[in-house]
Parts: sequence; structure tokens; C-alpha cells
Amino acid sequence: MEHELGFALSNAWLVPALPLISFVVVGLFIRPYSAKWAGIVATLAVMGSAVMAYAIAWQYFHLYHGEDHPAIVPWTIEWLRYQPGMSVVMGTLIDPISVLLMVVVTTVSALVHLYSNGYMKGDPGFGRFFTYLSLFTFSMLGLVLAPNIVQMYVFWELVGVSSFLLIGFYYQKPSAVAASKKAFIVTRFADLGFLIGVLTLGYYGYLSFPQLSPSIEPGLAGLSTSGLQPFDFAYINSPEFLAYFAPMQVAFFGFSLLTMAMVLVFMGAAGKSAMFPLHIWLPDAMEGPTPVSALIHAATMVVAGVYLVARLFPAFAASETALLLVMVVGTFTSLFAAVIGTTQDDIKRVLAFSTLSQLGYMMLALGVSTMAHPLGYTASMFHLFTHAFFKALLFLAAGAVIHAVHSNSIWDMGGLAKKMPITHLCFLTATLAIAGIPPLAGFFSKDEILAAALMNHHYVVFGVAMLVAGLTAFYMFRIYFVTFWGPHRGHGAEHAHEAPVLMWLPLAILAVLSAVAGFVPMSHYIHIGAPLEHEGINLAIAVPASLMAVLGIGVAFFLYAGMKATARAERLATALGVIYRTIKNKFYIDEVYLFVTHKIIFNYISRPIAWFDRHVVDGGVDLSGWMTRTTGYVLSLGQTGQVQVYGLWYTAGALFVLLIFWAALG
Amino acid sequence: MNALTQALANQTPGLNHWLVLSTVLFSIGLYGLLTRRNAVGILMAVEVMLNSAALNFVVFNYFVTPGAFDGQIMAIFVIAVAAAEVVVGMAIFVAMFRLRHSVDVNRIDTLKH
Amino acid sequence: MIGQATYTLAFYFLAAASVLLALAVVNERKLLRAAVALMGVLTVSAGLYAMLGAEFLAGVQVLVYVGGIVVLIVFAIMLTRSAELLEDRPDKLRSALGAVLSIGFLGSVVWVLKSSTFALPAAAPLAPHDDAREIGVLLLNYTSTGYVLPFEIISLLLLAAVIGGIVVARKTAPAEQPFTSGGDLAGEADFEVPRTQHDEAETGVRQ
Repeated sequence: MEHELGFALSNAWLVPALPLISFVVVGLFIRPYSAKWAGIVATLAVMGSAVMAYAIAWQYFHLYHGEDHPAIVPWTIEWLRYQPGMSVVMGTLIDPISVLLMVVVTTVSALVHLYSNGYMKGDPGFGRFFTYLSLFTFSMLGLVLAPNIVQMYVFWELVGVSSFLLIGFYYQKPSAVAASKKAFIVTRFADLGFLIGVLTLGYYGYLSFPQLSPSIEPGLAGLSTSGLQPFDFAYINSPEFLAYFAPMQVAFFGFSLLTMAMVLVFMGAAGKSAMFPLHIWLPDAMEGPTPVSALIHAATMVVAGVYLVARLFPAFAASETALLLVMVVGTFTSLFAAVIGTTQDDIKRVLAFSTLSQLGYMMLALGVSTMAHPLGYTASMFHLFTHAFFKALLFLAAGAVIHAVHSNSIWDMGGLAKKMPITHLCFLTATLAIAGIPPLAGFFSKDEILAAALMNHHYVVFGVAMLVAGLTAFYMFRIYFVTFWGPHRGHGAEHAHEAPVLMWLPLAILAVLSAVAGFVPMSHYIHIGAPLEHEGINLAIAVPASLMAVLGIGVAFFLYAGMKATARAERLATALGVIYRTIKNKFYIDEVYLFVTHKIIFNYISRPIAWFDRHVVDGGVDLSGWMTRTTGYVLSLGQTGQVQVYGLWYTAGALFVLLIFWAALG
Repeated sequence: MNALTQALANQTPGLNHWLVLSTVLFSIGLYGLLTRRNAVGILMAVEVMLNSAALNFVVFNYFVTPGAFDGQIMAIFVIAVAAAEVVVGMAIFVAMFRLRHSVDVNRIDTLKH
Repeated sequence: MIGQATYTLAFYFLAAASVLLALAVVNERKLLRAAVALMGVLTVSAGLYAMLGAEFLAGVQVLVYVGGIVVLIVFAIMLTRSAELLEDRPDKLRSALGAVLSIGFLGSVVWVLKSSTFALPAAAPLAPHDDAREIGVLLLNYTSTGYVLPFEIISLLLLAAVIGGIVVARKTAPAEQPFTSGGDLAGEADFEVPRTQHDEAETGVRQ
């Protein structure tokens, strides 16, 4: 059914454009002159984007109220043209999950911008920070609004670059530089798989396009201003293409080509969303300033992987193996990260592992769904939505605490509840939310994930997810108790004071959102495949989950609230001995990677290649230069400066020409 | 005696003979140009070459257009130009000698690489 | 007939003489002797011109070429002090190359001559002519067949050459002269003077 698109929907390109303009203007023109205005302009630009996003969301859901929400592409621009009718376009795609992500990204980004005006005050790189934040916001929005997989890949890389720049923001610290390099290299390596997957899909897309595209309904193809193209998600996800592609097999091992492509694409998603074993970059990424951690490594960039899987969900669903892989990896990561998170002392590290764990939840929710029972899809997106708010809040509050205490370690904090009341309240709200205590947001989204797992009969996954829920409550309340209760454990904690208003205002807003976001009836908006049977809260799941959370809180209380409790915790730690130390060292995975890179890759691959490059490649170039120089030198020996010698040459030349004429003319 | 005279009379030098003579003179001059070490010696070789060129003109005048005098006029011009050339060349050699104290052309090699 | 036989004989005699004298010009190590040989070549050439019916030219040759140019060359030999010394021999490579190239040149031109034919009118005996008068008329003839323009330009050229020669060879200020005496003192030619005038200050040559 044709609907008249309103202003916001037709001009959806403004949403990424405003941060882009901010990036250019702030970076080139404002940053050299006034740091303060750099912050103000960037913040206003992102807020404008956020308002626009809300308008789009309102219009879109209002317009299609009660109907099947279609995918609209109101704006495109042709970028690469291979043939007339087959080209790669850049555009903005409006469909339920892109609207959701757009709202999340702009909101969190705007709040982080606001917060950073207070947090980064006095830093010499203040203007540079906002430039990079604007760049990141633009890249993430471009990724979210991508109508085809090529645009998504382009902005995927751009987001990686922004992350690199922001993690390494304190570029004079060697650890920060190393962390940014690590993040970039790991995600780039993962993107290799992604690229191969994209190329595979694109190739078969192009091959099949002429024969399949006429039969694809326009309704499914989306209302696009540029017509269906082979790289479009609408095309790749269409049943016709999947039916054509699924039976194809790779030449060796008999793997399905579709499975291979989706597994490779998932490799990219796993890298960006830090799934095991590509998770190693996320804890180190905490070297960046805290607002960066809040924005990028909690709420937005890391969910790009989840978003990608959701975007290509029909394709993933067509290949059971790929979906199984997603489920297994997601489940394992959530458990793995939760276990490690219980032992870390750096508050940001704990939050990083918590993020890993929650991302695992989102992935497993997608993994347990099928097109016939797609509750997990909705649940995953719902959890993404709520997680963004409370995780960003946790990070920003942690930032306020770190700012006040001048240390990252929880053992330097303590008793901050009285010193920083607003921060304390917000942090508590977020911690309750993440633990899944009703009626806060986390409870609803986690509940849906558990329900999805159970409904699709993945009992092991259900059990692990329950366990992780308990662990989550445990480690989150561990840091809560150590940080906000108990005695002042350090000098900084004694002299802590509340954050300035620019910093606690975003905290308060996010706290409110964390509380109420759970009441959004997500399944009205976000669904795919078969219609959902809407049942509301399933008490059979909600009650045990809440009990697990309360159990976790209780154990944390027992072990960490107060001095006697912490003594008990220490005794437990020494009793567990080796196990405790292994977990605390993150299962030595980083050391394994380091071993492989240094001992194996450097010695057996890098060194020979470097030798080859220096001696053969450079040698070849040097050789050509040497030959030219030597030839020139040899020829210059003929320039004796004596005119008679020149006369000799001249005469010889004239005779030679004469002989040539003789030979030529007979 | 008569036979010899007759033979000689029949063998009057034709165009080719004259041209070969002038070419031989020219080659000798060329050899001197390329080989002589003294600057003045080179100039003398050049004079030989110019003289042979003028001879060439006159030879063609005699054989191709006997009634006209254009070849002779060209030879006169050659002589005039040779004179101008010698004047300038000598001036240069004198100045060169004053500066370098030698007219050995092998020593005048500042154009060297 | 006798005339023709004499003509042939004269040709070969004069040709041999000029070739031998030319060889002397290029090979003689004492330059004054070479200058004399040059004089001989030019005089013999005058004779050859006379044989070709260019009597006026022969006179001009002797007057200008021999009487002017060779004298000028002798002056130059004296001024550059090349008279007393033997000229150095050229090194072997150079003389070999020079010989090869000259002979090559000779060979190629002779070969070209052999393979070409010139369109010649029927051989006619030399008509009596007043070539001095004719040459004069032709030189001042201002139609397209005349040579008045080159004539005028040649006079300009000679003027330029004279002026240029004076400018190049004039004596500069006494302070810049490498010699102050006339150069007659024994051994003065071997005097080691600085290669450039700027080095004089160091060696303190002048007065």
C-alpha cells in the first residue's frame, strides 16, 4: 500500500549527514580555534540527528501501524555502476530494526557527547575527541542504515577506523597504542572472512539476478528509489534467492556454499562483536577514555555484529549449520566472559566482560530462532535496546567514579554511596537492570531470550543462560558493593565528590530509560517470519530467572559487602588457588595468541617475507637505479671536453649515416 | 713520343678526376682537423678543407656551366669567409694563449664531465 | 693536341704537388714549415684555377689567400709562441681513428661519385672570356641572378670579424696580464703561471 512519506522519512539521509558535517566542520575549522565550541557544535549536531531519528521512528511506526512493516529505502545515490541496471548504491534503509538501532545510536551518542563536555574538560585533545566522536557516529549510522551489504561493509570498516582512533586517543601511552592496534588488527582479520562472504554472496547474486529478480515481489524488495540490486539485503534475504543458492555445494568436502558464506560473514560479526576467540581486543579497548567505552564498546559498535546477523537472518536461517554456530559461539562467549568477569579488579574490565557476556546473550538469542519460531530475533533486538541504555549508564557512571577517585581499581574505591549520591543511584539502577530484577528493563529482555531458548527446545542453552544470569547478578553486585559500600579503601575515595551536572545529567536520563525501556512492546514492532504468539510474561521462566538473580546478589552480598565479607572472598580465592588465578588471567588466551604471533608467525612467516621484501623487491628497484646511474657514468666518460674528440665522434656519425643511406637506397 | 702525346691527349682529366682530387684534399684536411694538437695547426687544416671546397665550385662551374661564372663567385665568397674566420680564430688563439699559456687543444677541456 | 697533352700533364703534376703539400700541412711538427706548406697548397690551387679558366680567381687566391691569410697565420704562430717548439705528436689512437675516418670519408664519396652520373653538356673548348669584367658585373647585379646581396653581407661579415678580433684579442689592463716583459727572456715560455688569472695573487707573479 502506498503511503505518503513525511518530511523525516524522505530526508532520512540527514541523520548520518549531520554528524558527518559536524566531523568536517569541527575537525577542520573549529578544533584549531576553540575547544569549547568544538564540543558544543558536535553535541548539537548529534542531538539534531537524534531528534530526526525520533521523528522518523514516530512517522514510520505511525504510518504502518498495524500492518506488516515494510523496508523502505527513501534515498539512494548510485555509487559504483557495473552495468546499467546492476550497480552498488549508497542509501538509507528504513525498517524496524534499522529504526531501532538509529534511535539507540543517536540517543546514546548524544548523551555521551553531553557527558564528554564535562569528562574531557581540560584534556589537550578535547577538540580532537569530538571530531572522532562525530566521525564514529556518522559511520555507525551509515552502517545501520545500509540497504545493501557493500555499504554495510564500507561503514563497517569506517567504524573500525573510528574505534582505532578513539581507543588510541591517549596516543602517548604505549598501552593505549598497543590496544588500538590490537583492536584494529583483530577486527580487520575477522573482516577478511566477512569480505569473502560478501563476495561469495555477491557473485551468486549477480549470477542469479537476471533470472530471479523479475519474480521477486516489490513488496519484499522494499520501496526503494533505485530499484532492486543484487547486493541488496532485500535480494539476498529473498526466498527466491535462498532457494536458488542453498542447494549449491562447494567443490570440496561437500559443504553447502550458503553455509560457507554465512559462516564467513559470521566471522566478521564475531570479530566486531568480540565473540570467542576474537574477544581479546575488547578488554584492552578499555584503554580509551570512558565515554568512548560507553558509546562504542558497549552500546553501539559492538552490537554491529549482532545487527549484521539480524539483518541477514533469513539467510542464516536457511542454513542450519550457520545458525547453530551462532548459537554455540554466543552461548560459550556469554558463559566464558561471565566467569572471567567475576575475578577482575579494574572496574572497566569488569564492565567489558559484562558487555561480552550480554553480547553472547544477543547472539544466542538469534541462534536459537528459526523463521518458524522467531521469538529469539525479537528478543535479541529487545536486549540490544535495553542493554545499550544500562550498559552506557554503567560505563558513564564508572567514568564519574574513576574521575572522582583517580583510579580504575575497585579496591581503591569504597563508601562512595554517600560521597556521590546521584551517581550511586544511577549505578544501582543500572546494576539492578542488568541483573534482571523486575520491573527494570533487563528483566523483560532477558526473560524473552530465555523464553526463546526454551521454546525452540534448546535446553542446554537455556540452562547455561540461566547460570549466566546468576553470574551476571553476582559480578555486577560485587563491584557495586565494593565500590559504593564499605569503608573508603583508598586516598582517592576519601576525597571523592559528586560529578558536575554535565556528567550526571546524562546518567539520570539513562537511568530513567533503563527503568522504563522494558515496557516497550517490542514484538509489536520487531518481528520476522512467522507471526508471534503474544503471551506476555511467562511466569514459568520469569520466576526462576529472578530467583537466580536474587541468588547472585545474595552471594555477592555475602562475599563483598563490608570488610568481613571481603575477607571471606579472599579466603575463597586462596582456597581455589590455581583455578582462581587462571580465571583472573583470562584463561591465558592472550598469552596463547602472543605465543603464536611471536614464536610462529614472526619467525616463520614474517621474517622470510621481510627478507624477501628488503632484498628482492627493494633490491630490484635498487638495481634499476644502479643500472641507470652506472650507464650514465659510463656514457659520461665520453665527454672528455676536447673538441677534437667531439669532432671525431661527429665525423664517425656522419659516415655512419652515409653508410645507412647507402644500404637503404642501394 | 707521338703515342705518348696521343695517349695523354686522350686522357684529359674529366669531372670525376677533378672531384677525386678535391675529395682527397678534403680528406687530408679532415685528418689534420681531427689529429693536430696545436690550435693553429687545426686552423691550417681547415684552410686546406675550405680551399678544396672552393676548388669544387670552380670545377663544377667549368664542367656544367662553362659560360657562366657563378661557381667562381662562390669561390670568391669562400675565400672572403675563410679570411673572416681566420681573423676571429687567431684572436681567440691569442687570447687563449694569454690565459692558459698553451695552445694545445688537449689541455682545453673544461667541458669535461 | 699538344695543348691537351700538356693540359693532362699539368693537371697530374699540380694535383700531386697539392696532395703532397697538404700532407705536409697536416703532418709537419714544426709549425712554420706547415705554414709554408699551406702557402704552397694554396699557390698550386691558384694554378689549378687557372687551368679551369678562372684566371681572375687565381689572382684573387694568391693575393688574398696566400698573401693575407697565410701571413695572418704566421703572425698567430709567432704570437702564440708555437714557432720554436715541436708540436706534440697526437696519441696513436687518435691518429689511427682520424686516418680511418678520413679514408672512410674518401672512400664513400668516391664510391658515390662512381655510381652517379652528372648531366654534362658536350665538351667544348674554352671560349675566350673576360672573366674579371664578367665577375664584376655579376657581383653588382641586383636581379635574382645577381650576387649583390651576398656581396654586401660579406662586407658586413668582414667588418664584424675585424671588430670581434680586436675585442677578443686586445690587451686587458696591465694588472691582469700574466706577463709584463715582452716574453723574450730565455725560459719564460716555460714559466709556470697560474691557470687562471685569479690565482695570480697567490703566486705573486706580476709587478
